[in-house]
Amino acid sequence: MPASLRSRSFVIMALLPALLIFILFAIVPIFWSAYYGFFDWKGLGAAKFVGINNYRLMLEDPIFWRALKNNLILVASAIVGQVPIALLLSLLLLKNTMFNRLMRSAVFLPMVLSTVVVGLIWGYIYHPQIGLLNQLLETLGLESWSRPWLSDPKINMLAVSIPINWANIGPYLIIFIAALQNISSEIDDAAKIDGAVGWRKLFSVTLPMIWGTVVVTIVLCISGSLKAFDHVIVMTGGGPAQSTELLATYMYNNTFTVYRYGYGSAVSTMIIIISAMLIGLNYILTKRRG
Amino acid sequence: MQTTVNVRSEKTNVSLWRKPISGIIKIVLLLYATITLYPLYWLIISAFKSNQEFFNRPYAWPQHWQIDNIIRAWDLGNMGRALLNSTIVTIAALALTIVLGMLAAYVLSRFPFRFSGVVKGMFLLGMLIPIHSTLVPLFIFMNKIGMLNTYWSLILPYTAFELPIAVFLGLAYLTSIPREVEEAAMIDGNGWWGIFGRIIFPLSLPIVATITILAFLRFWNDFSFALVFINSQALKTLPLSLSLFSDGFGTDYSLTMGAMFIAVIPTIVIYLIFQEQIMKGMVAGSVKG
Amino acid sequence: MKKRLMFITTIVLMFALLASACSSGGNQSGSKESGNKDGDTGQKVKISIWHNFAGDDLRAKAVRGLIDKYKAEHPNVEVDAQAIPVDGYRQRLSTVAAANEMPDVFFVYAGSHSQEFYDAGKVQPITELMDKYPEWKNNFMDGAFDRYEFEKGQIFTAPLGMSATSFMYYNKDLFEKHSVKVPTTWEEMMIAIKTFNDNKVTPIALGNKAPWVAQSTILGSLADRVTGTEWFLKAAAQDGASFTDPVFVEALGKFKELVDNKAFQDGANSIDNTQAEQYFIQGNAAMMISGAWSLTNLAASATPEQLAPIEVTTMPGIEGGAGKGNTISGGAGAGFALNKNTTGAEKQAALDLIYAVSGPDGQKAIAESHSMVMYKVELDESKVNPLYFKAFELALKSEITPVYDAYLTAEAGEAINNGLQELMMGGKPEDVAKKLQDAQSRSTK
Repeated sequence: MPASLRSRSFVIMALLPALLIFILFAIVPIFWSAYYGFFDWKGLGAAKFVGINNYRLMLEDPIFWRALKNNLILVASAIVGQVPIALLLSLLLLKNTMFNRLMRSAVFLPMVLSTVVVGLIWGYIYHPQIGLLNQLLETLGLESWSRPWLSDPKINMLAVSIPINWANIGPYLIIFIAALQNISSEIDDAAKIDGAVGWRKLFSVTLPMIWGTVVVTIVLCISGSLKAFDHVIVMTGGGPAQSTELLATYMYNNTFTVYRYGYGSAVSTMIIIISAMLIGLNYILTKRRG
Repeated sequence: MQTTVNVRSEKTNVSLWRKPISGIIKIVLLLYATITLYPLYWLIISAFKSNQEFFNRPYAWPQHWQIDNIIRAWDLGNMGRALLNSTIVTIAALALTIVLGMLAAYVLSRFPFRFSGVVKGMFLLGMLIPIHSTLVPLFIFMNKIGMLNTYWSLILPYTAFELPIAVFLGLAYLTSIPREVEEAAMIDGNGWWGIFGRIIFPLSLPIVATITILAFLRFWNDFSFALVFINSQALKTLPLSLSLFSDGFGTDYSLTMGAMFIAVIPTIVIYLIFQEQIMKGMVAGSVKG
Repeated sequence: MKKRLMFITTIVLMFALLASACSSGGNQSGSKESGNKDGDTGQKVKISIWHNFAGDDLRAKAVRGLIDKYKAEHPNVEVDAQAIPVDGYRQRLSTVAAANEMPDVFFVYAGSHSQEFYDAGKVQPITELMDKYPEWKNNFMDGAFDRYEFEKGQIFTAPLGMSATSFMYYNKDLFEKHSVKVPTTWEEMMIAIKTFNDNKVTPIALGNKAPWVAQSTILGSLADRVTGTEWFLKAAAQDGASFTDPVFVEALGKFKELVDNKAFQDGANSIDNTQAEQYFIQGNAAMMISGAWSLTNLAASATPEQLAPIEVTTMPGIEGGAGKGNTISGGAGAGFALNKNTTGAEKQAALDLIYAVSGPDGQKAIAESHSMVMYKVELDESKVNPLYFKAFELALKSEITPVYDAYLTAEAGEAINNGLQELMMGGKPEDVAKKLQDAQSRSTK
């Protein structure tokens, strides 16, 4: 690349507006909020500097660990449930036939509905008495399998993860299709001549070509799962007895409901730290393959 | 390396298999689609039921369709105005996000400089931020500069929080565009802005359409920022109207469903439009080879 | 393509700029400038009021109507009235509180919510309003100001409602059909529960998805019967009693007894209270222990046929307990508080506004919208449904015992709410008692 003065000014002018808005409205607030995390503050009245005490309390709180565990369950179920399914569907629905277009729209639809609608509907599906799921099991003669899906702590986290995955497949489907259709047809032909079809083609040609996209998708999955809030708040509120508590709901409760504002800020900083660690891990694991 | 003859016969064998398998796959997909579409169907029939019917027969086809819910929800939630506000804020934020995001992605992918790693890291950090934690700092900041209660109080934070995803998706996409394309354009006498505007951006339409859909949904459905940064009735956005109908002790489901029905229509329309865009862009893209 | 895009972008940005320039409301919620318009009639006084009566229900309309009436009668006052959806109310209020930008008048819930604002020095008393209208003050029921008198002799809020939370609604047809006596003692309750379960009728409908429900409706009353009110007040103040005392563990044990005997329907923790009300009114459950808000909800959504067999009474008494039977847990509901930084002409206007909404006319309007008030109102029987009327009379006659979350800190309230859900999932009373004790002691100054 010619390192001329013109290109330098282009770089600055092209990058600066984005950086400016981003730093002012996203980065500065988050550091500000991290700053609050060092105080014992109710959100009203005086704040007392307590150093890392909030973090210490957090690590000692069993609810924090339960929330973390729940989030990790979500991350795992997202990586297993969303990415492969989206990939599979994108391969199946690659061609632009009418049928495929309709299918894609159908898959994407849950994303379009607001989380409140999704939460409400699944609340009805999981309803212990009149829910679709239990009624379906009854008609199939599998009544013994019917459960209070959202209140039984052994399974409610899994029950909650299904609507989340179901709603989030759409965007990844679109991203994968965009990436797949971008693979030049020359490569496609070359592969055919080499006799690489079906599974072999998938693994030795297609996947490596879109690996960058797959990695980005996994990163989005992880960050999204760690911030999950809306669906759970509507479906269970984090309960019962905080069995479906997530880091984001835990933070929200502490910040806005029980007047532990400083503590809540520390929790949100912790969320960022944990996300960063997981994504770092992801990069390390996927760098080798790439 | 296989001979041509073998490839052909392999193809024939495979195509014998293909028909029934693809048939089964189609049926499975149809089933999946039906299950997926069910909630939308449920929303539509619920929006036209009275409260009583909603509770007594939640899954049945409405006995008589009443459009009362929708009318009342529209009036009470001031939804005409809310729709307008949501549209303005969303479009403006979209424009900013796409233009600034793709520019940044282009720079980061083609012009490695000393701090590009740091910049990428900052954008990555931005993706991890839970938005509720920024409510108070943003409120204090925007209050100080008098930006509260304006469209900008939403447009700029929305853009800021969506830029990371736009940059990352843009980056991933742009790295697959070969540099020869730009070099050819430079020989033609184009400056960087010309290259970006005439070559890069049009080529990136599929990913731009993708970013548009994702960003649109995020902006359209945001509740927390709109709740806290906007005071005046005249500026309120759509999601606020949706939550009007529960009073903490009970929810008026018929009105809520009616309001949600109104809110869902634009999102479906936008999605369908942009889905077409992705397709068009892709067809063009694959022809280019 | 690029040109068109750039063109569209520019137009849109211009539009947005124009729109924002025209519509920037400018003023955020009440920035307090003190008395610069002191005593200057005829000049515009600006005050702001925030509340959560944003919906379509009668009470919300009544309150908004009262504010509008005030506006019409005071043309020299500019009122910025914000009706905020309940779901977002706490969040928004907390945010502006943290930024020190609170409105002049704002709605607060009784208990820890208003207590926190007082502790942080955000509110000032409205006692002068009481002095100005003594008849109004005296018409409030006993105990109306208990949770709003943060300093001796100073009242900070006049309640707009009475929260009576532990009415026992029952379906008399179901009781007759299965020959069960409406329980007035604990044993009778257990018998009723068993009989209904045997006949595949849910004994008590409960929707505890939002966990405050079980605590507010059942625990307060139940525990009071076992422990007595005096013990509770001491434990809440952490002064001479603790939640780990055996008497409270026993009270929790009674709740657990209900759970173990399958008094509630399966999965009660994932159903919200509106759905539980519907379940009850459709004849699937024999009883429902709920508050006065159910009357409001049912008045709006149930048919007269569904309402016909419903009666209301108090929860059964517990033999040998320190508390009395025939009591209902309840207390002052929420009301409006006055910002400490509001002074001068704004303060006068604000006080008048508070009176407009919480005064005798206001109380009457609210009572007639099927929402109970802590004020002696002559209720016009023709304006309300019979069930509501019966319940209102019952509340006036019964003794009122404290609702737990009105006296616990926010954190302790969360602890007991979650604790009850835990009990319903097989937890142990001693554990829950300890959690509550820890939370209350940690967060009590």
